[in-house]
Amino acid sequence: MREKAKAIAKKHGYLPYMIERYLSLWGEEETLQFIDACERPIRTAIRVNTLRTSIDETIARLDKKGVNLERVPWLEEGFYAEFANVSSGALFEHLLGFYYVQGIPSMSVVRTLDPKPGEIVFDLAAAPGGKTTHIAQLMNNEGMLIAIEQDKKRVSTLVGNIHRCGVTNTLVLRGDAKKISTLEIVPDRILLDAPCSGEGLIPIDPTRKTSKTMADIRYCATKQDELLEAAISSLRPGGTIVYSTCSIAPEENEIVIDDLLSKHPEVKIVPIGLEFGVPAYTKPYGLMLDESIALARRFLPHIHGLEGFFICKMVKEE
Amino acid sequence: MPVELVDPVEWSKIRETIDDEFGPGTTQGLRGNLAPVVIRSEQSNSYYLIPMVWMKQLEIQLQDFEVRSIGIWLGDRVKEQFRVGLPVIEKLGRLTRNRIIVSRRGAESFTYGRSILKESLVKIPNGLRRGQKVVVYNEEGDCLGLASLTVDYDRVDRLQPDRLVAKNLTDIGLYIRYY
Ligand SMILES: C[S@@+](CC[C@H](N)C(=O)[O-])C[C@H]1O[C@@H](n2cnc3c(N)ncnc32)[C@H](O)[C@@H]1O
Repeated sequence: MREKAKAIAKKHGYLPYMIERYLSLWGEEETLQFIDACERPIRTAIRVNTLRTSIDETIARLDKKGVNLERVPWLEEGFYAEFANVSSGALFEHLLGFYYVQGIPSMSVVRTLDPKPGEIVFDLAAAPGGKTTHIAQLMNNEGMLIAIEQDKKRVSTLVGNIHRCGVTNTLVLRGDAKKISTLEIVPDRILLDAPCSGEGLIPIDPTRKTSKTMADIRYCATKQDELLEAAISSLRPGGTIVYSTCSIAPEENEIVIDDLLSKHPEVKIVPIGLEFGVPAYTKPYGLMLDESIALARRFLPHIHGLEGFFICKMVKEE
Repeated sequence: MPVELVDPVEWSKIRETIDDEFGPGTTQGLRGNLAPVVIRSEQSNSYYLIPMVWMKQLEIQLQDFEVRSIGIWLGDRVKEQFRVGLPVIEKLGRLTRNRIIVSRRGAESFTYGRSILKESLVKIPNGLRRGQKVVVYNEEGDCLGLASLTVDYDRVDRLQPDRLVAKNLTDIGLYIRYY
């Protein structure tokens, strides 16, 4: 397998360790389908921001400007969008916060979290704010959303997006989300859209074929473990947490979750509640993981024509 | 960096500034039943409006975190000057009569940070004076930002098309230019 992985990696410009893992996960045929899909562009998508205006008005205005929209079956506010001759960020409607340019998997993450008006919600790795602004939208700006981001520059972008989108129920904190327990606030829901190696983004960023090593993936996994641990300990008993990454690496997803489940018997995976993606893996690389992990979902470039993503919804039992 | 309630003296100064610029009652209209709070830093004071019930939450321990935004950003005071924040300008526009409308081309160039020329001015209410702050709209009724008039209303008609009528103070193009 090693030799085969090397040959495929060389031919398609990947690092061999990546292909070795894909062969083990999917076999040769599916690996080649994945590689092929990563060469095709991902369709642009937008989320209509109903904090600013209605879906119908945004559709009508974008239609007038020649933007072609196509609905996403499981996302009322999500659309594939073809911006014929203009940049998606340059239209007035964008500046006015009528929409957010965002991947379909990212929108699906927040729909999975299903935040409600009046709740206290934490968004632990928030910048640039695609998911923060979506959470506020589903909360109808009611309740309190606490968005945490460590990076100084990225936190500015987060604040800009919050203002642009008319979000008013949010407290933005710069700092390390691992320290949330010091806040002594007990949230009803938590989103941990964890920092990751980005292995799902190869179709968008081809440099990812060679830019990260196995050590980088392990480093991310450690960070993800720590962030999840902090999240679970601050979550209200009975509360919901969604863990997501834009990585297809089981090391950053299923294995991280399996570890969490073994340390926290009070945490249970629950169904996503929406029809999308494929079940997450319970036997990656021949490991035997907790069967309930199959309730989590994956988006994969070669199956869904979208960037790779992992989404897992859990509750902390009372 | 703690979040503090704005004390009444400080608040009345802000109210005077906003009401002087946009008409009596504007500040109360913006505030509604929200509580004004301030985050102080070396360079500026940033003012925000938050629901009263959040005050209790704000007794939280913030030693590990820096508050970067909370609720609605009302504006900043730098040195002695208070400036309203971009997120409240739309509401401000609904509360004041200081509003001007600009043409499509004027709107485009305004949202690139440029000022407004006579040729792009579509509508201006009578009686406004040089230096007065005005909320800027396009012909579709979208709120684009804030400008300050560079001429009195009475003199606008006499201006050449290429002359300046209002200076850009802030505009929604900042969302892509700055952030
Ligand atoms: C995948 S991105 C989040 C994307 C964001 N949720 C969105 O939808 O726009 C992960 C973010 O986590 C931030 N981050 C990394 N470590 C962190 C930590 N310990 N605490 C808070 N934020 C962190 C990174 O700077 C990065 O902005």
